Amino acid sequence: MDLTPALDAELTGSRPRVDREAQALVGSRCSVCNTPSWPARAVCNRCGSAALRTEVFAGSGVLITHTTAHVPLAGLAAPYMLGQVQLDANGPLVFGLIEGLPPDADVPRSVRTVVSAEGAVPPYRFHDR
Amino acid sequence: MIDEVEVIGVGMHPFGRFSDSSLKDLARVATVQALTDAGIGTRDIDVVYSSNAMGGMLQGQEMVRGQAVMREVGIERIPIVNVENACAGGSTALRQAILEIAAGAAEIVLAVGFEKMFVNDRTRTLDALQSAADVDVVRGAGLQFTAVYGMRLRKMLAEGTIRGEDLVEVSVKSHACGALNPYAQHQKEVTPEEVRAAPMIADPLTLLMTSSICDGAAAVVVARRGALKVDRPRVRFRSSRGASGFTPLPEGQPTLSEQNVTAAYEAAGLGPGDVDVAEVHDAMAPAELLAYEQLGFCEKGGAGALLAAGTTSITGAKPVNPSGGLSSRGHPVGATGLAQIAELTWQLRGEAGARQVGNEPRIALAHNSGGWLEGESAANNIHILERIDSWT
Repeated sequence: MDLTPALDAELTGSRPRVDREAQALVGSRCSVCNTPSWPARAVCNRCGSAALRTEVFAGSGVLITHTTAHVPLAGLAAPYMLGQVQLDANGPLVFGLIEGLPPDADVPRSVRTVVSAEGAVPPYRFHDR
Repeated sequence: MIDEVEVIGVGMHPFGRFSDSSLKDLARVATVQALTDAGIGTRDIDVVYSSNAMGGMLQGQEMVRGQAVMREVGIERIPIVNVENACAGGSTALRQAILEIAAGAAEIVLAVGFEKMFVNDRTRTLDALQSAADVDVVRGAGLQFTAVYGMRLRKMLAEGTIRGEDLVEVSVKSHACGALNPYAQHQKEVTPEEVRAAPMIADPLTLLMTSSICDGAAAVVVARRGALKVDRPRVRFRSSRGASGFTPLPEGQPTLSEQNVTAAYEAAGLGPGDVDVAEVHDAMAPAELLAYEQLGFCEKGGAGALLAAGTTSITGAKPVNPSGGLSSRGHPVGATGLAQIAELTWQLRGEAGARQVGNEPRIALAHNSGGWLEGESAANNIHILERIDSWT
C-alpha cells in the first residue's frame, strides 16, 4: 500500500472542517474502503490507505443518544445538551452540542448541522430538523 | 514470561482531599508503604515507571515528573520512565514494569502513580480532564467525562438493557464498599433516596453516582520470581494486555474493553468464569454495570440481575469493586490503575480487613480505562493476577 501521498497531505490547520454554504461538516473519505472521518485524516483508520479525498458530508443526521450536562465549563454555561449523531449518506459518527430540543427528547430523531460563525468554537452544532 | 512476574509489595496514600500535600508527599507515602510491604529499600529498585496525568497543567511540572517526585525518597540514577495514559496511566506503568522484567532487563521494578487534582480553581482541573481526548476535535464541544458516560447509559436505558433503578443500586453498593475502606475518599454509606435526590450532573447521572476530584497515590513493586524470599501468600500475573481506542465502524464492533479482555483471557488460558474478584473502571458507578457485560460476567442485558442477585457484592460469588471502585475509593487519575492492583493483592492475600471478600479468591482481574476517542476509551489495560499458594 502506497503511504507516500500522506507526506504531502494538506496541513491539518488548513483542511476545511465545515462548509458554511452547505451548512455541513467537511472531512475525508477513504477511496479504498469508503470509511468517512471528521475531521479529515491523512491515512485511513480502517484499511491503512493514504488514498483519501475531501468530502462535504450530509447536512443532516440521526441523533442516537444525548444527555444534558449540568456542570458548566469555561465558555459554556450549564445546562447544555450534548448528543451523538450519525450523519446521513454513510457519514461519520460525531459528537456535538444539541440546541433547541427538550432534555427528554425521544431518539432516534433527525437533526441538521448548523455551522457556527467563522472562528467560533465549537465550529458546529445540531438543531432539530 | 508474564507468569514469572510477581507482585511483592503494594502501598497507597489514602485517596481524598489533601490540600497541604504535594505530589512528592503523596508519592512518598505510597512508595514507602510498597517498599516496606516488599521488605526492601530504595536501593533494591532497578527501574521506576511513574504515572501522572495532570501534573503539567495543574502543578506546572510538565517534564521529568517521576524524577522530580522520586527525589523525595532518594531514588535517582536508575531509569525513571514517565508514563501518561490519562486514567489508565497507572496500569500502563504497571504493564511496562512487568514487561521490563519479562524481557530480562530488570529484577525488581517500582510502578508508582500520583495525582493532585484539588487546586484552587476547579475549572483548571476540568480543563485538564478535557485534554484526555483529541483536543483538536473536541475543543469547545463541552464533552465532559460525565456527559460521555451519560450518553452511553441513556442509550442502554432506551434499549431496555438496564433500568434506572440499577444505576441507583450499583451506586449504593459502591458507597457501601467505600465505607469499609480506610483508603477511600468517600467512606459513608448512602441510601437509594439520597442517590436519586443528589444534584443531576449529566442525565441520568447524579452527583452520588460519579467519582470526584481527588488527590492520592498508589505504588506496586513487581519482581522476577525468586528475586526475593517471600513469606506470605504469593501473587503473580497471568496476563497483562494493553490496547488503545478506535473509531467505531458503521457496522458496529465489540467494545475496546471486550476486545482487550478477550485477548487477556486467551493469553492466560482463563475465562470470565474463573475470575473470583475484580476491580473495574467505574469512573461513574453505573459503569460497573457496563463492565459486567464487557468482561463477560453476564450476558448482554443481564447486568441488573447480576447486581440484584448479590453476586458481585463483597459476600457474593464474584465480588466486583470491593474497594468501592473509582466512584467511592476515589479516582486520582494517574494512581487509579495501581490502586486497583493494591486492592486485588490485598484481597488475594486475605489482608483486606473489613472488606475482605468471602470466597477465598485465587484469580483476580483489573480493568482500567483512560481518556476517550469518539465514544471509546483512548486506552485500556487488563491485568489478571493469581494467588499461587493455596488458601488452606
